[in-house]
Amino acid sequence: MKTFDVCVIGAGPGGYVAAIKAAQLGKKVVVVEREKIGGVCLNCGCIPSKAMITAAHMFEKMSSLSEIGLSASNINVDMTKIQNWKESVVNKLTTGVSGLFKMNGIESIMGEANFVSAQELELNCSNGEKEIIKASNYIIANGSRPIEIPGFNFDGKNVLSSTEALTLNPTPKRLVVIGGGYIGLEIGSYLSKFGCEVTVLEANSSLLSGVVDTDCVNVVARKLKKKGVNVMLGAKAKGYKKVGNDLQVELQTEKGIQTVLCDKILVTVGRKPNSDQMNLSKIGIKVDQKGFVVVNKQLRTNISHIFAIGDVAGQPMLAHKASREGIIAAEVIAGKNAIADYKFVPAVIFTDPEIASVGLTVEEATQKGFEVATGQFPYAANGRALSVMDAEGFVKIVADKKTNVVLGVHIVGYEASNLISEAALAIEMGATLQDIASTIHPHPTLPEMMMEAAEAAMGHPIHIFLRPKTDRAARPTTRNAH
Amino acid sequence: MAIEFKLPEMGEGVTEGELVKWLVKEGDSFTQDQPLVEMMTDKATVEIPASNAGKVVKLIAKEGDMVKVGQTLLSMEAGVGAVVKPAPGAHASPPPASPSRPAVVQTASAAPVESIFPPPAGAHVLATPSTRRYAREAGVDINNLTGSGPAGRVTREDVVKASSGPMGAVSMGAPTMARSAMMPARTPTKALPTATVMGSNTEERKPLKGIRKKIAENLVRSKQTIPHFTHVDEVDATELVAWRAQMKEKAAEYGIKLTYLPFIMKAVSATCREFAMFNTALDDEKNEIVRKHYFNIGFAADTPEGLLVPNVKNVESKNILQIAKDISELAEKARQGKLAPDDMKNGTITITNIGSIGGLYATPIINPPETAILGVYEIVKKPVVINDEVQIRSMMNITATCDHRVIDGADAARFLKKLKQRLASPQSLLLEMI
Repeated sequence: MKTFDVCVIGAGPGGYVAAIKAAQLGKKVVVVEREKIGGVCLNCGCIPSKAMITAAHMFEKMSSLSEIGLSASNINVDMTKIQNWKESVVNKLTTGVSGLFKMNGIESIMGEANFVSAQELELNCSNGEKEIIKASNYIIANGSRPIEIPGFNFDGKNVLSSTEALTLNPTPKRLVVIGGGYIGLEIGSYLSKFGCEVTVLEANSSLLSGVVDTDCVNVVARKLKKKGVNVMLGAKAKGYKKVGNDLQVELQTEKGIQTVLCDKILVTVGRKPNSDQMNLSKIGIKVDQKGFVVVNKQLRTNISHIFAIGDVAGQPMLAHKASREGIIAAEVIAGKNAIADYKFVPAVIFTDPEIASVGLTVEEATQKGFEVATGQFPYAANGRALSVMDAEGFVKIVADKKTNVVLGVHIVGYEASNLISEAALAIEMGATLQDIASTIHPHPTLPEMMMEAAEAAMGHPIHIFLRPKTDRAARPTTRNAH
Repeated sequence: MAIEFKLPEMGEGVTEGELVKWLVKEGDSFTQDQPLVEMMTDKATVEIPASNAGKVVKLIAKEGDMVKVGQTLLSMEAGVGAVVKPAPGAHASPPPASPSRPAVVQTASAAPVESIFPPPAGAHVLATPSTRRYAREAGVDINNLTGSGPAGRVTREDVVKASSGPMGAVSMGAPTMARSAMMPARTPTKALPTATVMGSNTEERKPLKGIRKKIAENLVRSKQTIPHFTHVDEVDATELVAWRAQMKEKAAEYGIKLTYLPFIMKAVSATCREFAMFNTALDDEKNEIVRKHYFNIGFAADTPEGLLVPNVKNVESKNILQIAKDISELAEKARQGKLAPDDMKNGTITITNIGSIGGLYATPIINPPETAILGVYEIVKKPVVINDEVQIRSMMNITATCDHRVIDGADAARFLKKLKQRLASPQSLLLEMI
């Protein structure tokens, strides 16, 4: 029987990072993956969706450049080529990970893994072989899968999960998206740019409910409306039937039962942890009510030599959280006193425009007893934003009024995803508004907005005028000065 | 106008204390009930809260001073709008006056196996990720530090200071005493060994103060004045082990984790009733032996700051579940550094338990003015000859260390003989049950 120091199950952004870190720390590591190296993130999540979003964004941009004096004709969408390009991006990354495994001396086995005991793992390898291996420590990183809802069983043809939606070719004429969370909005938005007529059904009263700053959500909701995406709030999908060539989705709204016709249905109502697999319950791994494996701050499960990281180990189900947890688990296994003591996990949503946030919202901070100071700076007053023709949105900073310590930053707008890391660093460093405002941000760039929002929170931004008053969160008057 | 803030009463019979640490600086504003100073009384550290809001004009007493109740600690201006600075806190504070302070964030629910030491930095802690990491590796609980940086940011220097200070050194070095079933369960904390910050061949000096100093003084006094002797015996604990295993679940229904200690306490109080000299105090000044008709049994609690001996009051009138509850509450308070002076006063006899660490037996030092300390040790399976047959029994060593001025060797032997009979047959306690 082969024995290892560390066995990682799942080669997604949690597992592969954990494996590499453990190997760097001198451990003999094996990774077991049943589908594809890179997991959901690289193969059918973050990466391919961003490739598709970029393609759609460029197509839209190309078609709307006449106002600045650029006109192009015959802009064709060759979906097959786009799909191939997307696959090539994915392949570059996944082969990169495989290469890193080799260079770090990590053995990787393709196959399905099941615990036979807390010490031993049975592998049903993709090549048909069966094998039992043993490791001193295990890291469960087997992720999550899309949730199915009654009446809409995934069939890969009519009812799709995000995985199949990303490979749609040709683009369907009409799409119903069930679930107005970030996955549904990201995919729905880009398909709409490729000419698909999109209807989003959200059972709650707002999009992206409970996830982010509501002002940010409103900007995205307005844009969706402007672009012709039909958003129905408070709409519960009941079921669908085939009517001729069409799919007829039945939904319950305040006004009663309604129907929508479409060609494809995308269900994105969330994901659930894969804790019901691998015989985890048989060997006594504790799972909470929501199905997440229970871990402590060092990612240890109730069986102390078994760790769990990423989606299977709790919210938020984000790749970068999984990666960080992977590093912590590997370090703990290697005898380091590491711990999950980050303050917040930043989140980015690649809607149009993007939303990115880290830390507390105004409501959360108020609830926690802070007297809150907020500062908001609009894209419309930023030179760079205007010059790239993306002047929608704002940067909002939430701080503790007493100490000026930054508690949260919420951004909606072009490249929000690339702006949020400064905010994350500021919060982890315990920065105050002055720290950000006093740091020179080069001109003309988008991050200047962070500096200005910090000034705004203290009452004195340069490029917008705030009437002296007690309510610092008041909407600023824009004065373009670049 | 400056007014004087005097050391208030800190508990019955406490007349003075050692000023361990100022929690405010000159010029600091403070709110009502904000802890101003840490005082060491008897054996507990107590935070003295402000009686009303104000601003420090001058710190009059110095760290290390002995201060009498009523003596001036600092001069202050009253009623200044207070800028609240978080107190470093987390040491002992008398329960009624404990300041409201955000609780240390611990994910109790998410800690199925082991809790982790130091606990993760709470949301209120301002420190860079590298400083948090550094504190963790140095074994310093960053939640307890007062930041010297802007907006109360904890700097790397703050951590360095804490890790070389008296508190830090303890949490860094000594492995915490593991506890067996004898003691209320405490999740083992795992501080991984870390490389020392300084190079080899260096020395470190730190003042002997606070609890450590008090421990030192008490032990020197005890060892120098009391002629100690120790009697050793062996108990067949087989039935006790079985009994406890059986009763554990019953006790759990009351939310109580049943250990051996409550049972041993009960047996000791019953035995002390027969051997009165074991439940006495020797009043050195008056040359009198004080016989006590109450049984307040102390137990040695190992805390990050050193040995403390809280006692369970009136063991004679409590049942085993009540005793178990008292022990676990006192142990928890000791662990959090929250024992009040009263918790440690008026003990009549002490039990020390080193069972979980191991060893055959020890010769502990008496906790004056008591006249005896009992030791209980690891329960191990051993071959024992019974009726000319070798049997496997669960055996435990037991010691009585006594003040020979009051207790003779033969008394100790008789006492232990009787005690071990009780421990060997747990049912016998039923006869004397209250």
